[in-house]
Amino acid sequence: MTAAAIDTDNRNADPAMRRVHVRDHLRTASRIAVLLGGGALALIYLPLLWLAVMSFARNPLSGIPMPLTTMHYQAILNDVRWVKPLLTSIALSAIVALVCMIAATLVARAAIRMRKPGVMLLVSLAPLFIPGLTMGAALFISLRMLMNLTLGLWSIFLAQFIWAFPFALLMVLIVASRFDTRLLHAAEDLGATPWQRFWDIEVPLLRPGIIGAGIFAFLLSFNELLRSLFVRGQDTTMPIYNWIMAASQQSQVPIIFALTTLVLFVTLPITAASFWYVFVKLDKS
Amino acid sequence: MNKSSQDGLMLEISHAVHRYGTFTALNDVSLVARAGEFLTILGESGSGKTTLLRLISGLEHPYAVEALKLDGVDVTRTPAHQRNCTTVFQHYALFPHMSVVENVEYGLKVRGVAPAERRSRALSALEIVRLANKHDRRIHQLSGGERQRVALARAFVPQPAILLLDEPLGALDEKLRIEMQIELMEIHRQLGMTFVYITHSQEEALTMSDRVILMTKGRIAQVGAPADLFDRPESRFVADFMGMENLLEGRLVEHGGEHVTVALDDTTVRGRLSRQGSAAVGSKVIVGMRAERISMGAEPPPDATLNSVRGTLRSSIYRGKYLDREIETTAGVLKARIWSSSSEFEGSGYAWWRPEDCVVMPA
Repeated sequence: MTAAAIDTDNRNADPAMRRVHVRDHLRTASRIAVLLGGGALALIYLPLLWLAVMSFARNPLSGIPMPLTTMHYQAILNDVRWVKPLLTSIALSAIVALVCMIAATLVARAAIRMRKPGVMLLVSLAPLFIPGLTMGAALFISLRMLMNLTLGLWSIFLAQFIWAFPFALLMVLIVASRFDTRLLHAAEDLGATPWQRFWDIEVPLLRPGIIGAGIFAFLLSFNELLRSLFVRGQDTTMPIYNWIMAASQQSQVPIIFALTTLVLFVTLPITAASFWYVFVKLDKS
Repeated sequence: MNKSSQDGLMLEISHAVHRYGTFTALNDVSLVARAGEFLTILGESGSGKTTLLRLISGLEHPYAVEALKLDGVDVTRTPAHQRNCTTVFQHYALFPHMSVVENVEYGLKVRGVAPAERRSRALSALEIVRLANKHDRRIHQLSGGERQRVALARAFVPQPAILLLDEPLGALDEKLRIEMQIELMEIHRQLGMTFVYITHSQEEALTMSDRVILMTKGRIAQVGAPADLFDRPESRFVADFMGMENLLEGRLVEHGGEHVTVALDDTTVRGRLSRQGSAAVGSKVIVGMRAERISMGAEPPPDATLNSVRGTLRSSIYRGKYLDREIETTAGVLKARIWSSSSEFEGSGYAWWRPEDCVVMPA
């Protein structure tokens, strides 16, 4: 019985009346819930939508969308300096995703076979809780100042990998912890070599986690700015480019509006697809 | 057929020892299985029977063994995936991401059998376990009994020298278990394969096996046909495990032809020694009788060749088809299962049984 039902119990003796009351209470409560939830979602998505609208405004910083224009998009097409950072970002994120998938699979497999994986997992997942600024500065100090290395794409990769790996590991761990290692004994008993056991049994059963790990790693890497800024050397990724443009004296802001709108249209569908894959597909298998 | 055809032995284990830390799971176990035999390894949990099975399949490597031969070939150092034997696991361990037929053909797939041939062999195996119509189902769509049969088909499809069955009926309810016992025997007859069957149920062992190995504490307690273990237990442990209700301590007083004479407190009984020469005159022995072989009555039995003791009725429990009664004698409490109500009595009376139904074994 709900709290509302208990409440009405004392006041109303007629069961039929009571039922009506309860239903009214519940209806009000769920209306409030929908309102609050809808409001929260609006807070998230309306600014994004507004940004997309303002990318068509002649003067986005004025706050008034009118008059509408596509001049900023034309500017993007004419000034192609952003293409290289975008391609760099896509390639780099793809590599980060791939390496994360492999590393997370290996570590998760090891974790479920260890008798006490606690400390190992804690150390592996800890970068989740280290602020980006701290991690970026720490990497810069040790790589550039201590070891005197020339920073570049490789150090951006390293920083992004450190950032994305814990998430990837969590994704694979969720699936791996439910994996029944007795299935491997059964396969071995049926004559499967270690390699066949891995490919035929383990990989298909861990696949949802591995793919989820790849998608998350890609998105985290693609949007990463804080750590990359410290260790970029002479190289530029898409978020770094946007950040430089937004911070520069000559107002490139209108272009940023258009550019981020485009990025949004790339990342949102990927995010949606990944959630669908992880929560719908994974549940079915 | 390999070398095994010469001596007919599919499995040969000599002096296997296995330890987990300081715990000795197998203590000098030797056994053989003949081609086509249904061999049951019977024992309680912790008796070492599952360890023995894992040594045979290769999922565990023995601490020490003199010989471990499958089909005439020593496989002591052969990894599990290269041994010619497969297992039906208690927990089935079916692959959840494969369909029924994909599960069944997996053993052929890893052996490199062509897709078309392995599919047809898997389908005919499913025919044998009466699941051909469900070959494209997912594992989670099957009932417990159906999963059990898929696991069975998956294990026998590669035609191993030996099929190992690890308590395969343990997870089924009683009705299904009895049906599957019959079905397993039928499949065994049909395939002509050597079955090594692990169970803790003496009923399963007696029903299905050609031969039974009873294990306790990592050792073999007795080996024999089901009737041997049931009727001629050679130790108190075996008699107790096989459900012999009445076990009394006595002293052997005389060897005499077919029967021996045993002193039980103030009276003597005659019985047969379960193994010739296993007890000397004067040594302590155990006398065992099954409850259903004991009769009771107010008067002593008319036949003087019967063993008979005097006592007082302690309890009488009505069980519908029969009556469970306990009579207290000077030698100890005797349990009897009475099928006719004509022998009812109160207070003091007699219990008697035939010397043939009285097993004498070393204490």
